[in-house]
Amino acid sequence: MAISKESNNSPLPKHTAVDQEDLVDDNTILVQRTLRSGQTISYHGNVVVLGDVNPGAEIAATGNIIVMGALRGVVHAGAGGDENAIVLAFKLQPTQLRISDHITRPPDNEAIDTAHPEMARIKDGVVTIEAFQTPPERQAKP
Amino acid sequence: MGEVIVITSGKGGVGKTTTAANVGAGLAYLGKKVVLVDTDIGLRNLDMALGLENRIVFDIVDVTSGNCRLRQALIKDKRLDGLHLLPAAQTKDKTAVSPEQMKALCDDLRQEFEYIIIDCPAGIEQGFRNAIAGADKAIVITTPEVSAVRDADRIIGLLEASELREPALIVNRIRPKMVRQGDMMSIEDIIDILAVDLLGVIPEDEMIVITTNRGEPVVLDQSSRLGQSYRNIVKRILGEDVPMMSLDEEGFFGKIRKMFGMR
Ligand SMILES: Nc1ncnc2c1ncn2[C@@H]1O[C@H](COP(=O)(O)OP(=O)(O)O)[C@@H](O)[C@H]1O
Ligand SMILES: [Mg+2]
Repeated sequence: MAISKESNNSPLPKHTAVDQEDLVDDNTILVQRTLRSGQTISYHGNVVVLGDVNPGAEIAATGNIIVMGALRGVVHAGAGGDENAIVLAFKLQPTQLRISDHITRPPDNEAIDTAHPEMARIKDGVVTIEAFQTPPERQAKP
Repeated sequence: MGEVIVITSGKGGVGKTTTAANVGAGLAYLGKKVVLVDTDIGLRNLDMALGLENRIVFDIVDVTSGNCRLRQALIKDKRLDGLHLLPAAQTKDKTAVSPEQMKALCDDLRQEFEYIIIDCPAGIEQGFRNAIAGADKAIVITTPEVSAVRDADRIIGLLEASELREPALIVNRIRPKMVRQGDMMSIEDIIDILAVDLLGVIPEDEMIVITTNRGEPVVLDQSSRLGQSYRNIVKRILGEDVPMMSLDEEGFFGKIRKMFGMR
């Protein structure tokens, strides 16, 4: 089991056959349910959740974490030290979000209502959250 | 063959016992043969909610350990013909019964009753394991508090892991005024997190303290809104399609109607 590849500059899967093979190589687990309070997943690779991650649930992955639902629990992407790891969710409202050894939490007293999928990643040494754009648009940027 | 329904919550004091008493009494009132099983060993109080404390001779541990026959331990309700209680033991602890014994007990009760309602203790340890061991269905109770909802979520996860899927949710002690002011979680907020079907909503009402202390289930009170909210739950358990009632606060249930496609 390999930790996410260093060579992969954009850690999200791209839509070419070669890169999909890369993803398989990276070890991806598909969780086809909502993670409820008290439930945890720890995985050497990427984690994709087809459901929500509720408050009180935790995911730690050496690779990326993608939640096709509301992410309200605690997540740790790049848990093995991968600074390129990302966290992506339809509703990104984590209790706490960690990437590599960066630990972040949402600001106090600020109700965030996320209407769009968002992505968290390390940019210039800090965890930043931005609206998720389709890969071609994102890759066009420097 | 009867149906075994466990009433559970995770957090204590959210209304499991009150709900068990009222659901049981409500079903019996509609002519069903019902037994309420108190599995909160060491903290017995379902008997009090029904005003039956002074009739207890044998309890659930006496039955599972073979000290008496099931028949001997069952207490008939004083008002409702179809209602029976199997009381918890007060002087023992939760390890006095095993999940296997509970399963066997539920199977015995199934032969005789249409509904077996299990009042579960708080927590996620052996008492909880016992209570759910023989259940076919689960009702999860929460109040509109973050901690209660969190515990309900934990419980739903554990129920799912024990093959008790699709539990139904009751939200207890809701205060419409506080919800409108944004000071209390709304039903929509709760359903958004728990993602389960809503079986009913019970308003906060001090009347419940009075009726519980008197040992008279409020579900039998035809005039009160509180009684109505329990009767609606009973009808939904029986498979009737009862719309969520408005708690006199216009628009309060608008969101639910939308979510459930009821107009
Ligand atoms: N809808 C309600 N309005 C006001 N008080 C309530 C309501 N439901 C329950 N209570 C009170 O809350 C307390 C705990 O209820 P109980 O049913 O014993 O909870 P549990 O069995 O979950 O520990 C009791 O004192 C009860 O009278
Ligand atoms: Mg109780």
